[in-house]
Amino acid sequence: MSKEGVFLGLDVGHINTKCVLMRDKKILYCGKESTLFDPIGSAQKAMDQVLNRFRISKDELSGIIITGIFRELVGQHSIDKIKTVSEYEAVAKGALFLDGNSRIVIDAGGNIIKVIHYDQKGELIDVVENDKCADGLGIFYTSMVNAFGLNEEEASDLALKSKRDISIAIQCVLSAELEARDLISQGIDISDVVSAILKFVAERIYSISTYMPLGDGTVMAGGLARSRALINHISRLMKKELKVLEYPEYVGAIGAVISYEGGK
Amino acid sequence: MSEFNSMKKDHKRENDKVIVAGVDVGSVNSKAVILINSEPISFSEIRSQAPKESAVRVINEALGRINLNLEDINYTVATGCGKNEVSFAQKAISEISCAAKGAIKIWGQSVRTVLDAGGESCKVIHCTESGRVVDFLWNDKCASGIGFSFDSLAYLLNKELKEIGKIGSEVDKFPEISDFCVVYARSEAFDLIRDKIPIEKIIAAYHYAMARRMAVLVERLGLKEDFVVIGGMSRNQGIMVWLERILKQKPIEPKIKLDPTFSVAFGAALFADSFYRQSKI
Repeated sequence: MSKEGVFLGLDVGHINTKCVLMRDKKILYCGKESTLFDPIGSAQKAMDQVLNRFRISKDELSGIIITGIFRELVGQHSIDKIKTVSEYEAVAKGALFLDGNSRIVIDAGGNIIKVIHYDQKGELIDVVENDKCADGLGIFYTSMVNAFGLNEEEASDLALKSKRDISIAIQCVLSAELEARDLISQGIDISDVVSAILKFVAERIYSISTYMPLGDGTVMAGGLARSRALINHISRLMKKELKVLEYPEYVGAIGAVISYEGGK
Repeated sequence: MSEFNSMKKDHKRENDKVIVAGVDVGSVNSKAVILINSEPISFSEIRSQAPKESAVRVINEALGRINLNLEDINYTVATGCGKNEVSFAQKAISEISCAAKGAIKIWGQSVRTVLDAGGESCKVIHCTESGRVVDFLWNDKCASGIGFSFDSLAYLLNKELKEIGKIGSEVDKFPEISDFCVVYARSEAFDLIRDKIPIEKIIAAYHYAMARRMAVLVERLGLKEDFVVIGGMSRNQGIMVWLERILKQKPIEPKIKLDPTFSVAFGAALFADSFYRQSKI
């Protein structure tokens, strides 16, 4: 592989650290590591992994671009050639790169949900984030389904089979957990409870998104976007088919590279 | 022939035994305790899923350890939030009553305040020397899921619960985080990472906040000595150390050596024992 013009994008989030390798706007690699409360360590690990795999050294890279909530922490810590990009800009640029018709992206990550509105060049128009009561929706979903002995994918499949329409809390993630457990202890089927959890997550995401002029150009990114059942719930609320981007959890990391190359 | 006789005798003795069980179907874990002639003989704990199946699984696990079957049990009492789903139980009793009953038996008649710190809920109970409940307080909604939040913290750190509990007890200088809402507490723990606070201090700060959250509940009902802590969080060293310091209470010595996680199931089994004996009079 020629080592000319290879860029590495890192998105250091609350829960996961995502890493992509790109050249000429082509995605060569996507990988992720758990952040484990150690952003610097996980960024290093994610980076080493991809560099080893492609037998390329840090010096041979044309650039390393870091985004995500811990970007400053990681950026300060290391080496030259590093650029940091705000996660809003990165996600907007990434979403526009993956879908040229998109204008609004809903990014549902592990701890924060943000909705970003941008123009045809990927310049930011407006951003909204969840309030504190909805912090950790992604972790909430993962740890709840793990507690039921499922992974995210199995839970989503199971929720699609639900036949009952049950609702849980409307505001607080903690109340949702409590009410979901109450339902379980009443002997309600797990598929119905998982569906209720996903409906709660969908309602929270939708209520944040309504601040934006949702239209045909609305796309979804972030790890939660992998759940088919969740997308169905949100689409129903939006009364529009919500499109999921390719590589949903890597949109930020991809966008970091794109925004750096932006001028070219 | 003699062998056969002794076998028959053995079997007869087996029939004379009073075998009872307490099953505590909690929101996070399910526990079972089996008593033979009023002595705790077998214990089991599993992760709860659907309550009906969890109850069957946990009792079978406890029975399997002593080579018995469900039919061998004379009386079963169910408790915990899934108590009404336990099909094989003769009776369902509130977890509050069972907690008091179990605590009095384990720590003795001097116990007056019991904190049951579970996975989803925390309860503070005042009881008499016979284990009768005088008053109790259930956590408010904002303090639900404290126990389970440690599970998810452990998952995010990729560490064992025991390990983070130990770290939480060892560090004593750390920034304070909010102790009202469990969701806020976690958010603020994340904020500390950006302030470059070392992980150990973040873990300790979280344990301290949660211990203070529980201490508030205890203080709201009032702390009458002796005070004991039962439930899954009693295994969390960090929580126990901070509760002790905040409430200024030294733990008292148990009369029976028994993992306090099983106190409620044990209390249910004690109820089962007395109900069975009453029915035989």
